[in-house]
Amino acid sequence: MMDPRIVVVDYGMGNIWSVLSALRYLGCNPIVTSEPDEVVRAQGLVLPGVGSFRKAMTTLRHTGLDKAILEVVQNRGRKILGICLGMQLMGSHGSEDGDTLGLGLIPIPVDKFTFEEIGVNKIPHIGFNSVRSKPDAIIFRSLPETADFYFVHSYRMLSAGLSGEVATCVHGTEFLAAYEKDNIFAVQFHPEKSQTNGLLLLKNFLAQ
Amino acid sequence: MLSRNFRLQKVGDIKWLQTNYNFSQISFSIDELVVLDVTRNERDTGAFCEALKILSEGCFVPIAAGGGIRTISHAHALLHSGADKVVVNTPLYESKGFIGELAREFGQQCVVASIDIRRVADGAYRAWTEAGSRCVEGPAAYWIERVTNTAVGEIYLNSIDRDGTGQGYDLQLLDQLPLDMPKPVILAGGAGNATHLATGLADARVDAVATAHLHNFVGDGLKRARQSLIAGGVDLPVWDVQLLEQHRKAQDTASFN
Repeated sequence: MMDPRIVVVDYGMGNIWSVLSALRYLGCNPIVTSEPDEVVRAQGLVLPGVGSFRKAMTTLRHTGLDKAILEVVQNRGRKILGICLGMQLMGSHGSEDGDTLGLGLIPIPVDKFTFEEIGVNKIPHIGFNSVRSKPDAIIFRSLPETADFYFVHSYRMLSAGLSGEVATCVHGTEFLAAYEKDNIFAVQFHPEKSQTNGLLLLKNFLAQ
Repeated sequence: MLSRNFRLQKVGDIKWLQTNYNFSQISFSIDELVVLDVTRNERDTGAFCEALKILSEGCFVPIAAGGGIRTISHAHALLHSGADKVVVNTPLYESKGFIGELAREFGQQCVVASIDIRRVADGAYRAWTEAGSRCVEGPAAYWIERVTNTAVGEIYLNSIDRDGTGQGYDLQLLDQLPLDMPKPVILAGGAGNATHLATGLADARVDAVATAHLHNFVGDGLKRARQSLIAGGVDLPVWDVQLLEQHRKAQDTASFN
């Protein structure tokens, strides 16, 4: 039985439609909301997003969604999956358009790829790339150790040597592709755009 | 949905597409999709968005959509109908302002610059706009570099001369690109078989290849082309279509025990 109260947080940024299509394909009937009260009652949260870190955090603060997300995840222990910008927002702070505090669920800052890091590669990092995951990672269950996922981003988290760093990817330099600790899950790539690899990952999150 | 077979040809509407093209099947053989509204006169954005929604529902790859985008609200409508990126052409040559506005609103990664190139009588390359109906003054190389320096995320470089011919990409067109091209280049126009796709991908200046050749999609042509590229050592993303099905079966079995 799929979790009946999966809430997709709609704060006006990102490809909500694609995330919903993928969740529905998996038999989940998510609630889409921008209401903090709805978010607080969630049994699982999906935080999608594409765009600017600063703009997104400003919106989350303005609407009170930031507090609702922290309440549900930290005090009620519900699971959360951050996707792309959603993962970055869960970080400690981001340097996009000036330094901005993040939600702080992942104690790692978010900065732009530097030219030294990427070498001959291009920014943004666009396209499918190979993700190497740890064998015990819950969201990568049933997937091969190296699996391809779709990325679109210019900012990234680097390894800080934390136990939650369950997957990495290389774009000139190695960066954090996924984080997983207790009820906190986050991926820098777009599972909803990564064919069956992504569907399987979402399914693992829903089943968790 | 249109196929260009030397000239623009209508092949069917969205219902035709679902029935004859078996899109939900072939969608597992592509890694990105470009959907363009190539209507030349009055466009019906609402109808196009509806079609896009139907198309994108069971398609788990990035989708770029475009055709006649002149306003933020038009782009917004496409992005809320399943598109992840918007494709722009004519505004690239008109006002830098609109491209910047799109990038500020949706992010630079969201804007795909579609550059249509056609050779003129003396053999020189020129950029064309308004669905290939108007030639832009000045060398193509100048415009490609200029567009590259605006707030776009990717360059979709299309040869109008080759488009729909199935005779292979115009690789000389790549000489028009700036050296040290900082943004990803998608080469389009002319692919008719797997060898063409492989030849395009083998050029270091090309990041991705596109094909609009409808015959690639009929039957399992595209699937086979993809498999032959992977077998030939081309680094394409892989996924197991059966994986999800197996996972579902395993879970069903587990729940019976």
